[in-house]
Amino acid sequence: MKISCLQENLARGLGIVGRAVASRSSLPVLSNVMLATDGGRLKLSATNLEIGISCWIGAKVSEEGAITVPARLLTEFVSSLPPEQIDLELSVRTQTLHLSCARFEANIKGIDAQEFPIVLTAEEGAPFVTVDPDELRQMIARVVFAAATDESRPILTGVLTAFEGDRLTMAAADGYRLSVEHITLEKAVPEKVEVIVPARALAELARISADQTEPIGIIITPARNQILFHLQDIDLVSQLIEGRFPDYRQIIPTSYTNRAILDVQSFLKATRVAHLFARDSANIVRLDINAGDELMPGRVTLMATSNQLGDNVGQLDATVDGEPIQIAFNAKYLIDVLSVISSAQVALDTISPSSPGVLRRPGDDRFVHVIMPMHLPR
Amino acid sequence: MPIQLLPPEVADKIAAGEVVERPASVVKELVENAIDAGARQIRIEVREGGRRLIRVTDDGVGIPPDELPLAFARHATSKLRTLEDLQHIRTLGFRGEALASIAAVSHLTMMTCQVGSSSGSLIHLEGGAQVRRSEVGMPPGTVVTVAHLFYNVPARLKFLKAPATEAGHIHRVVMHYAMAFPEISFNLKLDERVVLQTSGNGSLYDVLLELLGAETCRQLLALPEDNSSFSSAQVSGYVSAPSLHHAQRDHIILFVNRRCVQDRLLSTAVVQAYYTLLPTGRYPVAVINVMVDPAEVDVNVHPAKSEVKFREPQEMFRVVQQAVRSTLLAKTTPFQITTHLEGNVSTPTSPAAEREWRELSHFGFEVQRTLSVDEETESPDTRLPMLRVLGQMALTYVIAEGPDGLYLIDQHAAHERVLFEEMKCQYAAAAVPTQQLLFPVLLELTPGQAAILEAERTTLSQLGFELEHFGSDTYRLHAVPEVLASSDPATALRDILADLAESGALLARRADERVMTTVCKRAAIKAGQSLSLREMQELVRRLEQCEAPCTCPHGRPTMLHLSAAQLAREFGRI
Repeated sequence: MKISCLQENLARGLGIVGRAVASRSSLPVLSNVMLATDGGRLKLSATNLEIGISCWIGAKVSEEGAITVPARLLTEFVSSLPPEQIDLELSVRTQTLHLSCARFEANIKGIDAQEFPIVLTAEEGAPFVTVDPDELRQMIARVVFAAATDESRPILTGVLTAFEGDRLTMAAADGYRLSVEHITLEKAVPEKVEVIVPARALAELARISADQTEPIGIIITPARNQILFHLQDIDLVSQLIEGRFPDYRQIIPTSYTNRAILDVQSFLKATRVAHLFARDSANIVRLDINAGDELMPGRVTLMATSNQLGDNVGQLDATVDGEPIQIAFNAKYLIDVLSVISSAQVALDTISPSSPGVLRRPGDDRFVHVIMPMHLPR
Repeated sequence: MPIQLLPPEVADKIAAGEVVERPASVVKELVENAIDAGARQIRIEVREGGRRLIRVTDDGVGIPPDELPLAFARHATSKLRTLEDLQHIRTLGFRGEALASIAAVSHLTMMTCQVGSSSGSLIHLEGGAQVRRSEVGMPPGTVVTVAHLFYNVPARLKFLKAPATEAGHIHRVVMHYAMAFPEISFNLKLDERVVLQTSGNGSLYDVLLELLGAETCRQLLALPEDNSSFSSAQVSGYVSAPSLHHAQRDHIILFVNRRCVQDRLLSTAVVQAYYTLLPTGRYPVAVINVMVDPAEVDVNVHPAKSEVKFREPQEMFRVVQQAVRSTLLAKTTPFQITTHLEGNVSTPTSPAAEREWRELSHFGFEVQRTLSVDEETESPDTRLPMLRVLGQMALTYVIAEGPDGLYLIDQHAAHERVLFEEMKCQYAAAAVPTQQLLFPVLLELTPGQAAILEAERTTLSQLGFELEHFGSDTYRLHAVPEVLASSDPATALRDILADLAESGALLARRADERVMTTVCKRAAIKAGQSLSLREMQELVRRLEQCEAPCTCPHGRPTMLHLSAAQLAREFGRI
């Protein structure tokens, strides 16, 4: 293999695939990144066997070939080089990659590319669906944080991704909260498909699609065990989680007895303040929701008490419709969801202190977030 | 093959197999005979693990010459006459099978001489058949020599273990009898080497001193002599202070009417008496004899008589447990390590106290341990000083510095303590925070688990488990205590039920505290979990708030303390 490419292209490509490199693996080759010539371009690939990322960068190929080299060393070395042309040459006999750029030279010992697992990339042909990168990224941001991080329930560490008609829905839950959002597809899918994608894969997808403008193609392998996101010059492939996602639709309450419409930013700020006091006592923040009367506007009062630290009360103006109610939530869950709501206002629907609380964007049914309340008998 | 009666020699060999399993069983039977014969001195000689030779010499009453051949007939005994006698057996043997069985599978020579008789008689049998009979001159008593054991049962011979292993079994058997009969002097020789020798002065403590060593005996507590107030059963013996424990149960040696028994019930009673005093998975040392009316116990359960049946097992359990527990509670107070430390974490003051201190802990460090026998001992002045967290070791221990040296804190035990005290407060105020579940979890329990759940349901619900009965042994879980919210609720509840089952029927703790202990155990951070500096600081800060920070709710220590003075000494600075 003998190629030349620009330092900034290689550094950018390594930064993209770097997130898929296995940090602690018993398989040494997984902490390597693969460099291979591919139709006049240089293809970089990395995988931790759960997700794999491939990235193509422009290069002048004088001799075909492939090699894997330690990802961290290569990335750190390349990123400290001056922005000039890098020449890479592989000594096949010693499996050593020789790099030269300006007045720097290096030899990096590698592992034979044959030992690297195959990272699936998009074939020629039409993808299953295409979605707008911005819409997809925002949907991921509003859903993925609700997925469980605890490995004891593998299903809940994934995001239910459902294609039905012209609608793409994502849902994630960790046992105490649920986040659901859907977007409209340009073209309806011929058949309904539901898969569970690891939350980490979607988070990576959101990260690497930040400067994408072209629609993202989504392909699900015929065996239904991998999903592939085809971006411009980048392919991200992820294993799917097998199993049945709990039926979340029946959890979302269809009615409410009290609806409070609040300003998102002030709600978030008041919750953060309450959290300072709630941290010590199970993160409990109590919401006292009162409809106003002719003279007083509706009001939501946030209270947090710590036996050792003291207590805190914060008041928010709100448009409240319904009977007064007191309900307690985990402050962290409220902060998580309020931080990702993009609209200016949020509606909080409640039924009783022991029924789920629902947050929505007023006048927009695409996003629903459910939080289970806490109890603090008094 | 047609059905036919087995020839006597075949039947004998089969029967012998039940009694004589290995050389140790021969020793057991012969020693029992010697004891039943009223011996004051018993000498046992073993060669090659008993394969080559077993000789038991006693100074008992001997056997009259005319009864000698009959002694080797099956079901012949002097210890029992009628069926009623079986109801109140006071001798160790009674079946009249031992000698016959042993003789059937070996070359056996018996020399016996009655007290007052001028000469003794000798009888030699090979494979159960008399070969020689003569008169001999000898002192009163009986000498039984068993040579070439199993010479005619190759199958059994093949299954014998290495001589050293068999010798170990023999040693154990003799040790048990020496403990049960301190008034008899035992002497055991293995291949010409005396390995066991007791004085026969009647003191069990002297026997234990000989058999277990001074180090162990120093930590033994005598059970009170008179505890007949409990019931008809008399419990006597020694148990270890909580500072001494082993990983195996086999240091619990039990006798019923001075007969060594393997009884799960009684050994469980002993172990449970140590509840909260010993770390889980550690067992005490105990040598306990239970004297009961022979009519209350059936020893005729197993040919080797290692199992017994009580008429009222629950009563026996209670008596043994109470005797041990009351001894522990009464006598551990002066032992409390905190007394050396004036109830806080200062270093031992006198050199003597310090030496003892060092011996008591395994590490040569001063181990901070309150025994937490009861709520009362959790005195409030055992609080921690301010600690500065230095780091984490082996993903299990938090290393912290205090004004008086280094502290190693077990993160799991410490967190358990913190959660336990916090939960206790919340529970007392009926304000345990709970978290509702998004998806109610369906729990299919085994009938055993369901029974435990039903028994503890009130406590569980007060602690925040919102459960709904969902037909037979199925329950629906709607909410969990907030402390458990980060784990899988179904697994958590199952684990708690399993823990409760294991610690079932325990005394001392109130039922609700027991449930809380298991909940906290489950909720606490585990060993092997990496903690950030902030998390560790938070843990230590909360531990400082605890009333009894030095032990976890199960009684294990939460921390080790290495004082600055100790460090200076170890490094040779002073």
